[in-house]
Amino acid sequence: MGETASILAEVFVDTIGYWWVIIPTIFLGLIVGGIPGFSAANTIIILMPLTLAMSLETGLVFMVTLYSAARMGAGIPAILVNIPGTAGAAATPLDGYPMAKAGRGQQALAMSFVASSIGGLLTTFLALMTMPILARVGFYMHSVEMIVVMLFGISLIASIAAQDMLKGLIAGFLGLMIGSIGTDVVYATPRGTFGFLELYDGVPLIPALVGLFAVSEAFIIIEKKVIISEDAEPKNPNWQDTFEGVRMALSRWWHIVWTSIIGLIIGVIPGAGASIASFVAYQQSRAFSKTPELYGTGHPEGLIAPESANNGVTSGTLVPLLVLGIPGGATAAIMLVVMQFHGVSFGPSLFENQPKIGYGMFMAMAVTYLLMLLTILPMSRYMSHVTTIPTIYLAPMIISFTLVGGFVPREYMFDMYLALGFGVLGYVARRTGYHVAAILIGVILGPLLETYFLRALKKSDGDITTLFSSTLGNILWVALALSLVLPPVFNWRRKRKELAER
Amino acid sequence: MIFSKSMDRRSFLRTGAAASGMALALPGIARAAGYPERNINVIIPTREGGGADRNFRAFSSVWKTKLGADFEPGFFPGASGRVAYEVYMGKNEPDAYSLIFGNMGPEVLNWAMQAPSFDVNDYFYFGRVDTDPGCLFVGAESPLKTLDDVIAAGKTRRLNVGTSRMAHPASIGLLALGEETGADFNLIPLSGGKNTIAGAVTGEVDFSVLTSGSVIAAGEAVKTLLVFGENRVGAALNDAPSMNDVYGTDLPEMLSARAFAIHKKAADDFPDRYEVLSRTFKETFDDPALLEAYVANKGTPEYLNYGGPKECGAFMQAMLELGARYKPMLTGA
Repeated sequence: MGETASILAEVFVDTIGYWWVIIPTIFLGLIVGGIPGFSAANTIIILMPLTLAMSLETGLVFMVTLYSAARMGAGIPAILVNIPGTAGAAATPLDGYPMAKAGRGQQALAMSFVASSIGGLLTTFLALMTMPILARVGFYMHSVEMIVVMLFGISLIASIAAQDMLKGLIAGFLGLMIGSIGTDVVYATPRGTFGFLELYDGVPLIPALVGLFAVSEAFIIIEKKVIISEDAEPKNPNWQDTFEGVRMALSRWWHIVWTSIIGLIIGVIPGAGASIASFVAYQQSRAFSKTPELYGTGHPEGLIAPESANNGVTSGTLVPLLVLGIPGGATAAIMLVVMQFHGVSFGPSLFENQPKIGYGMFMAMAVTYLLMLLTILPMSRYMSHVTTIPTIYLAPMIISFTLVGGFVPREYMFDMYLALGFGVLGYVARRTGYHVAAILIGVILGPLLETYFLRALKKSDGDITTLFSSTLGNILWVALALSLVLPPVFNWRRKRKELAER
Repeated sequence: MIFSKSMDRRSFLRTGAAASGMALALPGIARAAGYPERNINVIIPTREGGGADRNFRAFSSVWKTKLGADFEPGFFPGASGRVAYEVYMGKNEPDAYSLIFGNMGPEVLNWAMQAPSFDVNDYFYFGRVDTDPGCLFVGAESPLKTLDDVIAAGKTRRLNVGTSRMAHPASIGLLALGEETGADFNLIPLSGGKNTIAGAVTGEVDFSVLTSGSVIAAGEAVKTLLVFGENRVGAALNDAPSMNDVYGTDLPEMLSARAFAIHKKAADDFPDRYEVLSRTFKETFDDPALLEAYVANKGTPEYLNYGGPKECGAFMQAMLELGARYKPMLTGA
């Protein structure tokens, strides 16, 4: 233990010595994370020749920093202009954007940065301390258990539907239907592809994301002069809003802690990712809130939950990579290639033979989050002015950037048309009172749910009772039922008590 | 060219007419003198940055020095390679200035499961770069430690077996193993190599089958028990034996085999261009720089393995036949 502590201290000091790599990479990460389609994984691939030419330590610090910064960067346009940079930030605009529209964009950014940094820092140290235990999570979370985790996220549709039951459910089911387009995951039978080969692998996520949120938003804001509401109080650059955002985040420290832990746990499951974590955290946050009705209107906790969770995923992803040699996501898979290029072997022997590499990646993440807080937080006062740019300039920029973003992941013109199509769908949905978030949840989580469901059925030869065949799965089913049933009961009791007190 | 003084006007005209007629009759030869005059476009059916991309860059970095022209990759991922082949066959000119760099194993199996919109005989693979055999492996903590354990367990209960996708050479290897031994296997597609390894390691499935290059990369997390082909890397695959050696079968190697293919019409219309391509492709294997480039791009050196049109054609045919044979099991039809 003493030896490990001294290695950790040594590695921490060494990592700070890489500030000259970390700080420029933070800004690069914020940019690539903020532009839809330009993820950390894509950027690392593009820069791979450079990464391979670096020393192993420098390359790892570069990749880890880019990964963490891109995760945080994805939240910035999600808050300011309703464009989630990645699917992991898809739940961020639900409350972040209403805050920006109300002239509280600076507070929202500061709150998001603090929640992301603290969530990321906390889960990095938690992952370091509990790595052997966390690495076992994947051994228990199989397809049956993942079905229930997916249902936690999908049940958000019901929460959204609570505001207008019929429209909410129609939007949710439309999303699930769109999500089922493509070949089925078992026998690759095409469904609903209308003959388009580009849809065989399902509806590509980024075009759907940018279309539903960003393009439709551009159509909406063009009807106004600026993003912020006319009744919002215009503000000059000031530090007070930043400090207020920091205070609002810190006063909800417990919320940051438990939602980031949700992200950490989901992050260590191979194949699961930030999109699942952020929706599950948002759903749980809303379910156990005393003011669930405020979610979706610019509620601070609705912003903190997804941002803490998706940064919790970042450190979680490193656990199966380093302990088991299993990359949990695309970025981790590229890290694996780079590490193997330098002859690093994975598994338990990594921490015995090259402990500075294993611990160094976590330390790089911790130092990145610390430096991000110091470098990015002061910038929130300037970033928030995006909401005051006249929409005649902003809307075309949003559409151009997002269409390019839709094109980038696969480089198909088809995907740009698809983004435009989703933009029109999103615009019509908004104008007619359907919630685009409900559609998007179906599009993102529907295919994942179907994948785990069909896999579970295939494993059991079609026996539906397999859904209740595992102890952990059954515990999760009970937790899901409770999280759906208890909040309305608590609400009812609270209202009854308030009435009695009057 | 210096005219012979003895060449009279009549013989000059005769020779000129013959040359012109030949040029018109064989336009390929006439135009091939300067081939290649521009870069060669190469369609790749996967995303940029993946194994195929690295493999392509390694090979083309040496091939271009023999050919005298560079290669420009275009990435068309999706539908298990189907998008790229449809683009290549449907939109690219058959002029020997465009090639496709595919994976003969899984991509040809696709055609056996669901025919493409073009005739599969309208293109052919002429240059195989490497051969990576499929293998059967268990997670490090699996209770199944040996091949005998796997077969014995498979005779008492149905074993769930992870595979990256149903129509994959490794899946066929497993089905053949089941037929040979009487063990009962249930293929579970886990969508990609990463998940297939994770499935075996975490116990989502009893064990998995996958191309061995990815399994080698997983290191200590897994243990290989059987190779559906020759084990060219020995200890890197835990000295696992080949299926044919263990059971005396004559199963063709179940390979992921990356190869360059060309429109048949291009080879027919421009035989000399095709000759330049196939000759320089073969010469590339004689250059020691290829091995260096291949290893630098994370290739397993033992898998670098030249194959010409004959070897590629035989493998493609074997995949089509095996695909047709196992189609009901791979498609649920």
